[in-house]
Amino acid sequence: MDIFNMLLQGFLVSIIPGNLLACTIGVIIGTLVGVLPGIDTVSAIALLLPFSYGMDSTAALIMFAGIYYGSKYGGSTTSILINVPGEAASVVTCLDGYPMAQKGRAGAALSVSAIGSFVAGSIGIIGLTLLAPPLAQAALAFGPPEYFSISLVGLIFLSKLTGTSTLKSALMAAVGVMLSTVGLDSLSGISRFSFGIDELDRGFDLSILAMGMFGIGEILTTMTQLNTKTNIPSINFKDLYPTKEEWRRSIVPMFRGGIVGFLVGLLPGPAATISSYLSYALEKRCSKNPNEFGCGAIEGVAGPESANNSAISATMIPLLSLGLPFCGATAILLSGFMIHGITPGPGLITEQPALFWGLIASMYIGNVLLLIINLPLIGVFVQLLKTPLNILMPLVAALTLTGAYSINNSILDLMWIVIFGILGFLLRRTGFEPSPLIIGLVLGSGLERGLTQGLIICNGSILAMITRPISAIILSLGALALFYSVAKWISRINCAGKKANC
Amino acid sequence: MAEKIITLFFLLGSIVYLFFAQQFTFGTLGSPKSGFLPSLAGITALLLSLTLLYKQLRSNQTSVLDKVNWTKFIFIIIGLLFYITFLNMIGYFAATFILLFYLFKVADTAGWRMPLLISFSSATIFYFIFANYLSVTLP
Repeated sequence: MDIFNMLLQGFLVSIIPGNLLACTIGVIIGTLVGVLPGIDTVSAIALLLPFSYGMDSTAALIMFAGIYYGSKYGGSTTSILINVPGEAASVVTCLDGYPMAQKGRAGAALSVSAIGSFVAGSIGIIGLTLLAPPLAQAALAFGPPEYFSISLVGLIFLSKLTGTSTLKSALMAAVGVMLSTVGLDSLSGISRFSFGIDELDRGFDLSILAMGMFGIGEILTTMTQLNTKTNIPSINFKDLYPTKEEWRRSIVPMFRGGIVGFLVGLLPGPAATISSYLSYALEKRCSKNPNEFGCGAIEGVAGPESANNSAISATMIPLLSLGLPFCGATAILLSGFMIHGITPGPGLITEQPALFWGLIASMYIGNVLLLIINLPLIGVFVQLLKTPLNILMPLVAALTLTGAYSINNSILDLMWIVIFGILGFLLRRTGFEPSPLIIGLVLGSGLERGLTQGLIICNGSILAMITRPISAIILSLGALALFYSVAKWISRINCAGKKANC
Repeated sequence: MAEKIITLFFLLGSIVYLFFAQQFTFGTLGSPKSGFLPSLAGITALLLSLTLLYKQLRSNQTSVLDKVNWTKFIFIIIGLLFYITFLNMIGYFAATFILLFYLFKVADTAGWRMPLLISFSSATIFYFIFANYLSVTLP
């Protein structure tokens, strides 16, 4: 009941004209980011950080959240129409969405995708509403040892869940932790790895790193690709009606995807992407006609598209309740909070209830706005796909450089952006995922702070630190995950050995 | 091959990082000092990159990478470096105008008048947004 009352007050905050406008702008930009290949969610939020300086903090955060969840709605459009995923989380939608478009059912695929996103997005937001406050309440009892354990286990899970290779993801996370040690040590005040460059004393700015890795990296990828022209089908409003049979087959996958997405969203890693793959596999297993998958099965669109939207809401839970980002986009959202002097975490709900509940309520409103934007206005966004990338990419590059310069008025930051851009481009080409690096950078400083402060509290006893009840439970989960990985690795080596002997 | 080069880059990077991390006091497990996390992170990265490189060298699989126009890549990087070098000297408006026009041409935008017009108008809009609306001090 209390949650319901607080949510109602949140709605009063989110319908203030300025906040409502910010929400609308956020979801429109988010849809654009999702629709246009070559612009990533993380870089879009990073790019818009400077624009939020003059804004009210609640409005700014509502806008950033809108971009975040809005991008997952738009991501399916290009997957279905031109077989090019606008977002990593929409890659799996290509498998059945594009064959549906080839059969003349693009409109049905788009509408099922939008309605599924709405249904699952709502499931995710309800979960966020119910779960974030008690978790934040529980987290009030967390001290540095618990935060150390969460950061450590977060990094372990992240390496296991991200990308195609555990080793590559773990290496990226370790590099992120290494980068987090650059600058002044918060406890001793010693300058580390700054090599006499004063500007390095403040360490690597998360937004600069994200703009480089994701923004410039993506621009380099898009601009250096060999040109291929694609035909974009036009979509009329009447094409958007799915048939009765399509409806019947889509409803259960939408709800199932919503639940799968929400559960995956609570884990560290690119939850939206993982949940879409997981949901696709689940739908294929549950289907009476698994052979249809890959040839235009509507369940293959409804499930994954629902899952990735639900996962997005769930990823907000650790950020808002614990102040810990478990994926690249929430890491940059954390940066947005920090810019406005707000520290997300257990204190947020009690210290800034209007912001906390206003943000959550805005997600309900944004979800409805996205349904409106993505159904009747889908034709407009399809037209945007005709925007020539040779015009768009240079403009985004100039805007990224200007935005990066405006953060600290530093030429060195621009240099870092280019260096990280080249690195991001090369990493993606070679199958290394840049997201764990970004999260390693954020969790690395928390890890060090938690460890040193925790040891001070526990009188220098590491045993006392890791045997505190909550710490012990969290660390046991991490140990189990590690044990499982090692056991799986050994059994794989044994299998390979047996095969070689045969 | 490219994958191995990147892994080798991280291997060398972690060795250099570990070398510099030795300058800071490690402390003990009960009382970590400023060199504690850098040393552990460096060793972890070193071990991971060594394992990865070993695995890549033993693997017979060759990954097929998307084709990239490397000439364009180099020209884009030159343009970005030019922008960074001359931003303070020639000022924001001129540098952004030149960068945009240059990138349009690198991206094979046809004609001269249209790229010039878009570059000029975009640089003007960006300048007004950042300098006037956001009150950013631009060079």
